[in-house]
Amino acid sequence: MLSLQSLGKTYPNGVHALERFSADIRHGEIVAIIGGSGCGKSTLLRAIAGLDPASQGSAVLDGESITAPHARIGIIFQEPRLLPWLSVAANVGFGLSDLPADQRRARVAQALNRVGLVEKAKAWPRELSGGQAQRAAIARALVTQPEVLLLDEPFSALDAFTRKDLQDHLLDLWAESRPTLVLVTHDVEEAVVMADRVLVMRPHPGRLFEEITINLSRPRDRTAPLFDQFKRHVLTALDRSLDRTMPEAQGRGDAATAMWW
Amino acid sequence: MTAELQATQPTEAAAPATPVARLRHPARPLLGLALPLLLAGGWELVVHIGWSNGRLVPPPSRIITTITDLARTGELGRHISVTLARVGIGFGLGVAAGTLMGGICGYWSLARRLFDPTVQALRAIPSIAWVPLFILWLGIFETSKVALIAVGVFFPVYLGLMGAILSVDRKIVEVGRIFRLSGPAMIRRILLPAVLPAYVVSLRVGLGLGWMFVVAAEFMGASEGLGYLLIDGQQLGKPAQIVAAIVIFAIIGKVTDWLLEIGTAPLLRWQDNFARTGGAA
Repeated sequence: MLSLQSLGKTYPNGVHALERFSADIRHGEIVAIIGGSGCGKSTLLRAIAGLDPASQGSAVLDGESITAPHARIGIIFQEPRLLPWLSVAANVGFGLSDLPADQRRARVAQALNRVGLVEKAKAWPRELSGGQAQRAAIARALVTQPEVLLLDEPFSALDAFTRKDLQDHLLDLWAESRPTLVLVTHDVEEAVVMADRVLVMRPHPGRLFEEITINLSRPRDRTAPLFDQFKRHVLTALDRSLDRTMPEAQGRGDAATAMWW
Repeated sequence: MTAELQATQPTEAAAPATPVARLRHPARPLLGLALPLLLAGGWELVVHIGWSNGRLVPPPSRIITTITDLARTGELGRHISVTLARVGIGFGLGVAAGTLMGGICGYWSLARRLFDPTVQALRAIPSIAWVPLFILWLGIFETSKVALIAVGVFFPVYLGLMGAILSVDRKIVEVGRIFRLSGPAMIRRILLPAVLPAYVVSLRVGLGLGWMFVVAAEFMGASEGLGYLLIDGQQLGKPAQIVAAIVIFAIIGKVTDWLLEIGTAPLLRWQDNFARTGGAA
C-alpha cells in the first residue's frame, strides 16, 4: 500500500504548494489526482517519486518511507524525456543496465512489443511522433516492472485522438501486471475513464478537497449515461474547489482562513 | 489507428530527404571552390597578358612554383612538421587544461565560484600580451611558443565545456535520477553525451585559435616553421613565399578542422540539426 501521510511542501522561495495531504492508495489501484493549476498536484507527485521530498509528512510504500527515487516506483512525465543520443531500444532499456545484455535485450524487445514500437527499435527519438515518443517513455517506465507508476499529465501534450488511444493502451498495459497508478491530470474525462478513485485538490495551498469513487466496470464506455454522470460529478467538485467563497469541504473553514482568501 | 497514421508522417517526410541530401553532397564543395578558382584564374590572366607585373601580388603559377621548390628541397616538410608539432602539443595541453577546469567548474558550483571569476579576468587579457612574459619565463625557444598556443586554446574549451554542463536540461538529468544513477554513472550516461555537441564545437574553435596563435608565436624569433616563412618572405622581399605560407596555413588549418569534424561525427549522429536535413537549400 502507498500511504501518503500528511504531506506538505514549502519551497525555499516561500511558496506553500502543498498542505497536509493524506491518502491511502491500495496496491493495484488507479488513482487520479485532479485540480486547477497551482493546486500542488505535480508537487505531490514529485514528492511521492522522491524527486523533491516533502517538507512535512511522508510518503510510505509498504512501510518504507520514500525520500529518494525508488526502484519500485516509476514515473512518466508530461514530456517523453527520451535521451536524444540513444536509440529507442536503448532508451527503453536505460533502467536495466544492471542486467546482462541478453536479458536486457529480451526485456526491451518485449516492452517495445507491448507498446507497439517494435519496428522503431533502432530509430532515434527525434524520428518518433509525439504519441510514439510517449509510448516509448511508457515502455521505459514499465520495463523495470515498478509496483507504483506515477504519471504527471502524461497525455496532455498530445492531440485528442492520440490521447484517447494511449489512455486505452495504458489501461491494457495496467491490466497485465496491475501496478498501482497515480495519475495527475487536468482532464476530467481522463480521470473518469482511468481511475478507481478521483482525488480533487484545491489550490493555495494545495490540499485534498474531495474524493470521488468511480465504481464503473472496465472497459468503460465513454458515451454511457453513467460515465457522463461521473464526469459531471467530478466537474462540479472541481468547480467548487476553485470557488474561493465556498467553505472547505474538510471543515477548516473558520473565519480566519475565510478572510485570508 | 489514427495515432499510427499520424505517427508515420514525420518519418515519411524525413526518409526522402536523406538520399536527396546525399545526391547533392558531392556537388557542394565544388560550388564553394568556384569563386576562389575564378579569382585565381583571373589574376593569372591579368599578369599573363601584362596588365600587372604581379611583383607584390604574385599570380597562382608563381606561388605554385614557390611551393614546389620549397617542397623539393625538403624545406617545406620541415617547416610544416615543426609548426604542426607546436600546434599539436599546444592544442593538446590547452584542451587538457580547458577540459579539466571546465569540467570541474561546470559540475561543481563551489569550484566555479572560486575559479571562474579569475579565469574570466585572465580571459579579458589579449593572449598575445602574454608573449613578453612567456619569453622571460620560458625562454625564446619551444616552451614559450607552445605555452602561448595552449593559452589560446584553453579559453574556448574551458568556456564551451562549462557552459555546456551548466545548460544540460534539468529534465534529462531527472531521468537519470529516476533510474537512481550514481554520480559517475550520471556523468557517463547523461552529462557526457549531453555536452558532447557543444564540446566538439569548442574544440574546433580552440583549434582555430591554436592556428592563429602559432603564427604569433613564430613571429617572435623562430628559425623554422610556417610563421618563419612569412617573416623570412617579408624580410627578403619574397611575396610569393608569404602567399605560399598563407595558402599552406589555410590548407592545413582546414584539413585539421575537417579531421576533427569527421573524427567526432560518429558520436554526434543522433543530432537533428539544420545542416544535416539539407538546410534551406
